[in-house]
Amino acid sequence: MTPAQRCPLCRQTFFCGRGHVYSRKHQRQLKAALERLLPQVEAARKAIRAAQVERYVPQHERCCWCLCCGCEVRKHLSHGNLTVLHGGLLEHLASPEHKKATNKFWWENKAEVQMKEKFLISPQEYARFKKSMVKGLDSYEEKEDKVIKEMAAQIREVEQSRQEVVRSVLEPQAVPDPEEGSSAPGSWKRTNSHVGSSSQQPSYLDLPPAPELDWMETGQPLTFIGHQDIPGVGNIHSGATPPWMVQDEEYVSENRQIGPSYEEFLKEKEKQKLKKLPPDRVGANFDHSSSTSAGWLPSFGRVWNNGRRWQSRHQFKTEAAARNKQQSHKEKS
Amino acid sequence: MSFLLPKLTNKKEVDQVIKSTAEKVLVLRFGRDEDPVCLQLDDILSKTSSDLSKMAAIYLVDVDRTPVYTQYFDISYIPSTVFFFNGQHMKVDYGSPDHTKFVGSFKTKQDFIDLIEVIYRGAMRGKLIVQSPIDPKNIPKYDLLYQDI
Repeated sequence: MTPAQRCPLCRQTFFCGRGHVYSRKHQRQLKAALERLLPQVEAARKAIRAAQVERYVPQHERCCWCLCCGCEVRKHLSHGNLTVLHGGLLEHLASPEHKKATNKFWWENKAEVQMKEKFLISPQEYARFKKSMVKGLDSYEEKEDKVIKEMAAQIREVEQSRQEVVRSVLEPQAVPDPEEGSSAPGSWKRTNSHVGSSSQQPSYLDLPPAPELDWMETGQPLTFIGHQDIPGVGNIHSGATPPWMVQDEEYVSENRQIGPSYEEFLKEKEKQKLKKLPPDRVGANFDHSSSTSAGWLPSFGRVWNNGRRWQSRHQFKTEAAARNKQQSHKEKS
Repeated sequence: MSFLLPKLTNKKEVDQVIKSTAEKVLVLRFGRDEDPVCLQLDDILSKTSSDLSKMAAIYLVDVDRTPVYTQYFDISYIPSTVFFFNGQHMKVDYGSPDHTKFVGSFKTKQDFIDLIEVIYRGAMRGKLIVQSPIDPKNIPKYDLLYQDI
């Protein structure tokens, strides 16, 4: 009898010796595994020509399982806050250990020889990738600079408009007319809220403009009922006592008893009961003082049975019914 | 719609409700019954109040009748919804500048139900501030002005 051997690909133990590798099942598993690995390698191969550099995102920490070496390989190469897509995988595929492991894997599992080349990356290709990576880094830096300049221009524009508004309001206020004086703060408030909303726009620059027109923006604006700041009295933001905690004058007139009243005591008892589980539930907070019926335990007493649980449950229920009937008969007579 | 939900008209009633609601989230909507956004919100509140009856108690408060509360909660936009649990004010981080209340109306009933459930679970675990489960796209945006700035 051939010794038991474990095939890591099929994740099974077999006793056929070298015959297992030629079996249909093994070849099927092999094909599926290679098919899973192939897209990753193809994506990495595409990246040789045109390496992409992106800002680091925790998603770039993902690893890929290399079938031939039997180890996890980080897919993307990241340094600082930049990532080169598929850099890690390419590095691994070009390494000599991977080549050796791939040859071993192909020989042991008797895979198709033509497929082997697809999973290897030659050192020349790796050198080409490095060159395109450098180019990619340069173009990324250029892009970043452009974005920063655009944002600076936007901020300058907004500052300009704000200054204009301030100037336009200061001019009418210079005329000491009481009517004008009352209307200027009003227009100040209106233009202020306008500037306030326009100043929010640069921060929404990151989002594309389409999602901004969701229902909240185009819906009805909220009614404004005036500022609620009375200088002397505090509010929730300043940490004042809440109105419901403030003692009213009427409270003082009652003769106050020390300690909880009778209703409060009853409420406490209810709350204690709530801490325990309801009577039919089982768990750590089980209420041991509750009374349970005969059918509460889920075991139905048949020890040597071979059949379904339903059978024993059914028998138990019929017996219980017969027992109850007998008892009621006895009581009657 | 707003006649299906109980209304509170003065400070004493609000005090009473805050102090006496036990083991349920207390939802107080501050607003006016005729305001259109308040009507939308009241619609959602009344439709979900029976489903949430074991988890939440919902009341409507008129801002003009309870100036003390309007001033304490700094309610400048209506409708504003404030949440309590066992007399403790619950704060919720919606992604908006004010965590003490929800300003505006909810987009769907499900948003409101999810929010109540998150507040209930957080409060049962002893938290005083919870993270809102509502998509930030569905939270109404408003400008929080402070003293004419």
